[in-house]
Amino acid sequence: MMLAGTERRRRQLVIAGLGTALTLVMGAVLIMGFRLATHMRADIGSLQTASTAQTYPEEISHQLNSLRDRLEVRAYSGQALADLQGTVKRFEQKLNELSVSGEADAPQLHRALQLWHQYAPVLDPVLYFNGQPYVDSDSAGSSLSREGRQHYAEVKRAQLFASDGAGPLQAQLAALAATLQRTCSDAAARLRTLLLAGVLAALALAGAAGYFRLTRSSHERAAREAQEQTRDILQTVREGFFLLDADYRIGSVWSEALTRMFSRQDFAGLSFEALLKDLVAPATLATATKYIKLLWGDRAHENLMKSINPLGQLEITVDNGHGGKETRYLQFDFHRVMGPEGVKQVLCAVGDITSSVLLARELQDSQENANAQVDMMLSMLHVEPMQLLSFLDTAETSLELVNTILKEPARTDAEFRRKLGGLFRELHGIKGEASALNLKSIASRVHALEDMVADCKKKPELTGNDFLPLVLRLDDLLAHLRSVREMAARLTALPAPAAAAGAPSGSAALRTQSPRPVEDLSPALQAMAARLAEDHAKHFRLTVAGLSEVPPSYAATIKDCLIQMLRNAAVHGIEPPEVRRAHTKQDVGVVSVHFRKVGEGYELLFEDDGAGIGTEALKAAAVRRRLISEEEARGMDTRAAMALIFRPGFTTQEDVSMDAGRGVGMDMVARSVYALGGRLGVSTHPGRFTRFKILLPAAQTVSSAVA
Amino acid sequence: MLNGNPTAMNGDAKRCFKLLIVDDSNIMRRRIERLQQFEDLQLVGTAGNGLEALELFKRTDPDVVTMDLTMPRMDGIECIGQLVALKPAVRILVISALADKATAVEAMERGANGFLEKPFTDRQLNEAIADLMR
Repeated sequence: MMLAGTERRRRQLVIAGLGTALTLVMGAVLIMGFRLATHMRADIGSLQTASTAQTYPEEISHQLNSLRDRLEVRAYSGQALADLQGTVKRFEQKLNELSVSGEADAPQLHRALQLWHQYAPVLDPVLYFNGQPYVDSDSAGSSLSREGRQHYAEVKRAQLFASDGAGPLQAQLAALAATLQRTCSDAAARLRTLLLAGVLAALALAGAAGYFRLTRSSHERAAREAQEQTRDILQTVREGFFLLDADYRIGSVWSEALTRMFSRQDFAGLSFEALLKDLVAPATLATATKYIKLLWGDRAHENLMKSINPLGQLEITVDNGHGGKETRYLQFDFHRVMGPEGVKQVLCAVGDITSSVLLARELQDSQENANAQVDMMLSMLHVEPMQLLSFLDTAETSLELVNTILKEPARTDAEFRRKLGGLFRELHGIKGEASALNLKSIASRVHALEDMVADCKKKPELTGNDFLPLVLRLDDLLAHLRSVREMAARLTALPAPAAAAGAPSGSAALRTQSPRPVEDLSPALQAMAARLAEDHAKHFRLTVAGLSEVPPSYAATIKDCLIQMLRNAAVHGIEPPEVRRAHTKQDVGVVSVHFRKVGEGYELLFEDDGAGIGTEALKAAAVRRRLISEEEARGMDTRAAMALIFRPGFTTQEDVSMDAGRGVGMDMVARSVYALGGRLGVSTHPGRFTRFKILLPAAQTVSSAVA
Repeated sequence: MLNGNPTAMNGDAKRCFKLLIVDDSNIMRRRIERLQQFEDLQLVGTAGNGLEALELFKRTDPDVVTMDLTMPRMDGIECIGQLVALKPAVRILVISALADKATAVEAMERGANGFLEKPFTDRQLNEAIADLMR
């Protein structure tokens, strides 16, 4: 664009120059021609005068002759004298004309005038004679008077002089005429030459102008073609190109691809900051702006600037043109355009790398998936096969139950919410067991499903459609469990038990109907305790006693309860080491589990030496979660407040983590204990301990208790 | 040549650059100290944090500084700003494990002249230092 501009100006200057030159040449030719013509006209006048004048000396001589003849025959001489006077007067007039014209300094005229001046002394007395030349007498007739005789003598003298002088004078005048003739023809020749030169110059200039016009139009055509090609390139290229000026504004030329990338048209003059403003996070925008400013400095060279480019993979959110939003990944490349005084502009190339980013992400996901499978396999190797199979049985049964809950017909919002509550408890149980066995891949999937259920709960109104995504997710989880079972089977070369596909009913009931050899819970609990301690930066020791006494029909419930309580103890009970030190307690906390037979039934004691449960904190959390009103909270005694922890949906935790915060833990424990016909108690001392006591009836009464 | 430094204009064919190393890791400091390539580079000090660097800088007036970003007491970003305020012509090479582009841009904006990401090879370090002294 810049180049074309200079070229155009240069050409305009040349055309103006040519025009001026043409005008000047033509003007000069016209003025000179005019002057030449004027001179020529004067010269032609002089030539005519000189031609006429050269006849006069002869004429004068002739008239003097005739005057003498008249005087001799005593005829009337007045007329002849008058004729002579007229001729002389005209001759002098002619000579005068020649003298005042441009020919005054011609030598011939000079000499003619000299000759003519010699006429004066002899001719003047004749011309100025005014007497009576004759006297009449009767005796002698007419005779010359005295004056007449003198006049006659003067005429005779003049006549002699004139007949001698006429020749040279005429010769001089003829020579003058000849000179004038030459001057005239010279002038005519000059005029011709001048006119010819003028015409030639005009033709030459017109030719130059024509040539110039031709080249200009060919240049313009080339420029137009170049412009069209540029436009074609900018419309076709898939990258977004634009130039930034020193004010960080976009120039007037940009490639069409930008329109698609940014879903806008108004790029000319737009600042770089304004371009990104609504598309990226403020922090990213600030960094980008700083980076653009750095490009104008001379501190960093191109490669360094390239290596710290913060816009190498920029995530932006734009309108997709159908009223929705769309995430795109753009790659900005910057190239400095150098001028004589440093950086002149910065060329930005923007590429849409969305597909390659997504592909890379997919690759990473599948890589992670593969890694997760390896991890899972390794973690499975640490789990006792029997324990793993028992978990899988329980989990699958629970999930079948979840499936059944999902399929149950429901119409009202309350029914839907009840369904969600049921889902939540089942899922929470599975997650607890999976965590206890360190089966992270399963635990994280259940956690994600729990998140979805939690999101559903938050909705103001529930419909059957809200459950669809849950069903899909559940299928995915079941498929995963199956693959785990396959893997486990391959690892242990044990056949998968057929009992897994049993008819779904209450999970506790099912567990009692498919008794398995009692597993040793201790290693799983210890593993879980270690993981919890690590995840929550707590130090505690788990002591377990009497779990081998657990009757097979209670094993599942006891395990579920222990997992929940252990989780609670680790998250809420045991304090961080520095807090314990501040309260002059041992750094390492103690969590103890004790199971024993008491009379006909059983007793499970679970105790931690942690922070205990503060009733005020419980009430506050319950109010915050809208489980009770503030008024109810004020009216609650310690016992009633304690009972809050067994309410569905209760938690004191603000953030949801893998291990706490959902508010289903103790609720589930209480329900399972009640389902077995047992009882549950809690005692606590703030700052010192929390103790749960679970009493269960004799094992054989279980089925009737559930029924 | 560095501008604004009188020794640079004395016409000395061989001008010696004074180097200050700032890094809180002992190993990293020693690794940079081992730079053999440059005979016109003279080590004038090493510092383990920003405050120490500032003190040494005032005493030794170095021309080239290698700067870690994450350090106790005063971090690299702040230290760069202070060094540049003391001596605008100083050349600073940021050597950091922070791969974050925003940090690099921030460092450059404060006045750093180069950026080298940890981990790096000896060759990369030599090239970065050579770039700095150019």
